[in-house]
Amino acid sequence: MNESIKNARDIITGYKGRKLRIMEVCGTHTHEIFRLGIRKLLPEQVDLISGPGCPVCVTAVGFIDEAVWLTLEKGCTVCTFGDLIRVPGTEMSLAGARSEGGKIKAVYSPLDAVDFAEKEPQEQVVFLAVGFETTTPSACLAVKTAQKKGLKNFSILTANKTMPNAYNALVGSADAFLYPGHVNAITGNAVCKKLCEDKGVSGVVAGFTAGELLTAMAVTLTLADKGEPFFRNCYPRVVKDEGNIPAQKLIAEVMEPCDSEWRGLGLIPMSGMRLREEYAEFDARKKYRMPKITGRPNPACRCGDVLQGKCKPSDCKVFGKVCTPQHPIGACMVSDEGACSAYYQYSGLV
Amino acid sequence: MCVGLSAKVVSVKDGTAVIDASGAKREVSADLLEELEPGDYVMVHAGVAIAKITQSDDEETETLLEDLI
Repeated sequence: MNESIKNARDIITGYKGRKLRIMEVCGTHTHEIFRLGIRKLLPEQVDLISGPGCPVCVTAVGFIDEAVWLTLEKGCTVCTFGDLIRVPGTEMSLAGARSEGGKIKAVYSPLDAVDFAEKEPQEQVVFLAVGFETTTPSACLAVKTAQKKGLKNFSILTANKTMPNAYNALVGSADAFLYPGHVNAITGNAVCKKLCEDKGVSGVVAGFTAGELLTAMAVTLTLADKGEPFFRNCYPRVVKDEGNIPAQKLIAEVMEPCDSEWRGLGLIPMSGMRLREEYAEFDARKKYRMPKITGRPNPACRCGDVLQGKCKPSDCKVFGKVCTPQHPIGACMVSDEGACSAYYQYSGLV
Repeated sequence: MCVGLSAKVVSVKDGTAVIDASGAKREVSADLLEELEPGDYVMVHAGVAIAKITQSDDEETETLLEDLI
């Protein structure tokens, strides 16, 4: 361990300041902080709570139902990031749809779905476009690539989300945010700086290595103890103030803001992205004239409260009993980035 | 899904880069980064290089903690 990281660790273990609630907005932060043992370093007056930054976890139940409809009713091949496959829908997950004859294919990138569509022209391919600003450019690139190749058998089902309005919905739920580094790599830091200046919301942009997370935590504790609102970019090797401008332009060209339903947080105005009219032929809802599909979440599941930092996974009655990674009730137990999955994996239950 | 992959660029051609991530090579889109060259380090997300980065995080901690003083 180098000297600087030791210093960061000493700042954390030696913290004697006021009680603090820090929200890990990003699900990968939740997992890495558990995995690296950083939680065990924290003094008891520092409480870490999980936020809504796991794209799989905030994807509404109805979106899974839409994807199930596309494959079972329309015969589409649904291409998706693997962690969506076991997320429960109202009646079934995509894994359940597969067992009933649905065609479900896991891909690493939306561009892989385009390649698949090109190689299999007899298949009608739909990519499930979930994710935040980090992932949205790859979906936009996929649409542009399919258009360039003249593919008529490729479309996307959008549930892309943006963070700024979610931050606004979360104001007051924590003393400081650990901002998701890879979102800021695309968006830049303007939104976070404005939250600090206009609403007094404190936070730091954090990376994902042990050194980066320890540093972000040490900076947060030091500045929070001073009592003034603050913002720091603790991930400067990846995040530039202006973000990735070509990615921002690409998103603005291909997609436009829309209202979006977040699991647990409900409908947040203008917090989602959909394809612009110029790209309507790649919009699966329009292409397949999808009826309005409304999902019904399992009432026993408290993923919604977990995602807002209102309770910890272990406060949910079904956590670790009925709801386990093998038999998930809620999305937060399915995804590798989900808070319930992290608590389960590192709580000694397995 | 949001996990980024840091990797070294091996080659770049027509908007596609071949990257080396701890020995594993694969093609990713280089459309979102300008002036990408072999030898650069990038953060890759869902098959797309989203940021040029430094090779390690060593200097970050030192600089950020110095700024606190």
